[in-house]
Amino acid sequence: MENRPHPSDKTAPQHLTLFLDESILHDLGDYSLSPLELAPMENAQFALLKKKDRLWMSTPDGENCDFPYYLKNIFRLLEDFKSYGNGRGESHEIFDHYTKTSQQLEKKIFSSGAHEPGKSNKDLWDEIIKKINAVSNESVSLGGMLEKLLDVPFLQNFQSSLVVLHLKGQTKAAVIGTLWRSEKVNSLIEVRDFNVLFNSIKKAKIKSFHTENFPKINIPFNGSFLANDVISKKYSLIAIASRHDFLDYSDDEIDLFQTCIDLLQPHFERLIDQEFSDKRISELRLCLKDFPLPLRVRDSVSGTSFMNDLYRSELQEQDIFFNKKIQGPFSLDLYDSDELRHYAFDLFHFQRISLLGELLNTLRHELSNPLFGLKLSSQIYTTLDVNQDSIDIMIEIEKNVNRCQVIIENFSNLYQVENESKPIAIRKLIDEAIVLSKSESREVKKTIDYTSDTENLSLTVPLIFVVQIIFNLIVNASQAMKGIRGSIISFKVSRKENELRIEISDNGPGIHQDKKSQLFKPFFTTKTQGTGLGLVLSRNLALKMGGNLEYLDNNGEEGAHFRLTLPIL
Amino acid sequence: MKKIFIIEDEVLIQQSLKKLFERRGFSVDVSASGKTAIDMIMTNDYDRIICDLMLQDISGFDVIEESKKKYSPSDISEKFVIMTAYNSPQVLSRANAYQCRLLNKPFDNIEEALSLMTES
Repeated sequence: MENRPHPSDKTAPQHLTLFLDESILHDLGDYSLSPLELAPMENAQFALLKKKDRLWMSTPDGENCDFPYYLKNIFRLLEDFKSYGNGRGESHEIFDHYTKTSQQLEKKIFSSGAHEPGKSNKDLWDEIIKKINAVSNESVSLGGMLEKLLDVPFLQNFQSSLVVLHLKGQTKAAVIGTLWRSEKVNSLIEVRDFNVLFNSIKKAKIKSFHTENFPKINIPFNGSFLANDVISKKYSLIAIASRHDFLDYSDDEIDLFQTCIDLLQPHFERLIDQEFSDKRISELRLCLKDFPLPLRVRDSVSGTSFMNDLYRSELQEQDIFFNKKIQGPFSLDLYDSDELRHYAFDLFHFQRISLLGELLNTLRHELSNPLFGLKLSSQIYTTLDVNQDSIDIMIEIEKNVNRCQVIIENFSNLYQVENESKPIAIRKLIDEAIVLSKSESREVKKTIDYTSDTENLSLTVPLIFVVQIIFNLIVNASQAMKGIRGSIISFKVSRKENELRIEISDNGPGIHQDKKSQLFKPFFTTKTQGTGLGLVLSRNLALKMGGNLEYLDNNGEEGAHFRLTLPIL
Repeated sequence: MKKIFIIEDEVLIQQSLKKLFERRGFSVDVSASGKTAIDMIMTNDYDRIICDLMLQDISGFDVIEESKKKYSPSDISEKFVIMTAYNSPQVLSRANAYQCRLLNKPFDNIEEALSLMTES
């Protein structure tokens, strides 16, 4: 930009020289000042300064005036300067004109109902600014802000304050705000109607309208109105204010309204973001309600947490770690999707069991005939007149056949589709779990002590549940004791009133003090290949049967010590 | 009672039973195929026919149906012993309709099974 010294002689420059402060230059943006020229303050014919909310205009001679600062004003002033263009005398005319009109302007606006006796125009303007700031800062919703806007001095005789909001990508636009100063409005209009309205308002030079101009659009009142368009990345909106009468609005009211909307723009942005995110959260809640996995979601902005029904019924007692963050206009903590897969395992566990049950049933039938053939023939050959070595082999074959039959029988029992409860001897329960876990606990000795009142007791429980719990505990203990000499798992079966207690302890390394509290938490594991679900599922199964699974302090002794309690009906 | 016919496609079972019966002094014919078995029933006179239900070609029930051409229902209930590993309700009700003996595989006790098959 070129600064030219201020000529003091009569051969004045063709065009006015101006000084504009940084703040004004910033507000002007791309606006072309040509043919006006900028100059340092002391050399300029006019200096324009933005002080707080007022525009100050001064001349080197020391004359000055001020009026409310709003963008429209400064543009109009600059346009006037451009058209005058030369001569000191003429520029004085401009100055006089502005001094006069700015005073008239304020007087006119503020006398239109909002003026309080004894207050100067400047005070009133300050009050408007203050009020708008208060309105916008206090408001927590768009509707609330629009209602409060009607308390702003120059809008105090207005009846309605509305916005028509169109979020990008939506098929409808929302009409939000207040009618007749108290009636809440919240309705929808078609997006094509919104576009008609928006474009008409945007193109209009004078932003004063009449509902008659838009006969096809459902504007919820009749009469003239002020309107301004606001556009942002996420939405476009029309701000509307009306006295609900048929009189046109003055230029000054138009300007003031524009200024208000300018001032409110960042708050529109904030409140719309907020409401948009609230809406998204409520939609998300609807989706998650029926999500087929236990799930808890936490909104880290408001701190509220949401859990779906599955979570509520199955996992509420547990503490879940959130380690997946989704950032957006609102932020959510979710489970890691890997962990969700573990939950899927939990949920589809029984589906898989029933499939496995069917397969095992088929397998049992298919294997039973050839095994029976083997058994019969080996039995026959032991009674034939052959040498002792062959007989021993035949006996061994028969034993192995028997073992195969037991194993497959146990497996198909374990994975029976129905979980129905039948009376089962406790001995059988524990023996079956031991047989099933044989490959994992081969080197571990097992001792089982029954009290006299439990020795021959039968329980009416789902076999599969109990066997699975004991199986899990044996496998855990065996894995913990891998490589330890003389490892033992001891079972103690006792009865306390209507409760059967199966205590399972080992002489392995035990569970470290600070890990005890996490034992029954999902995904807690000390194994490299563990899912961290074994004990969780086991406890859930115990609870389902009306029992429990607890970890007992080992009284300072080594090893881990669990107690499974089951109801005796 | 002299002649026993065993219809069983599992060779180990078939041969074992054959040996067991022979040791008890019976004369034993065997067949692994249902169709062959029908021919043999038509041409021979057996005192007892021990028939597996699940054969490779046809079912044991088909064999019994064909045998109706030669035997009366009371003959059938007397002569036939049905062996099966699948004792589903349908199988049981059909076997009951012939009023013949039914034996589950595998046998819990071989001696008892043999007695059931041979007693009159």
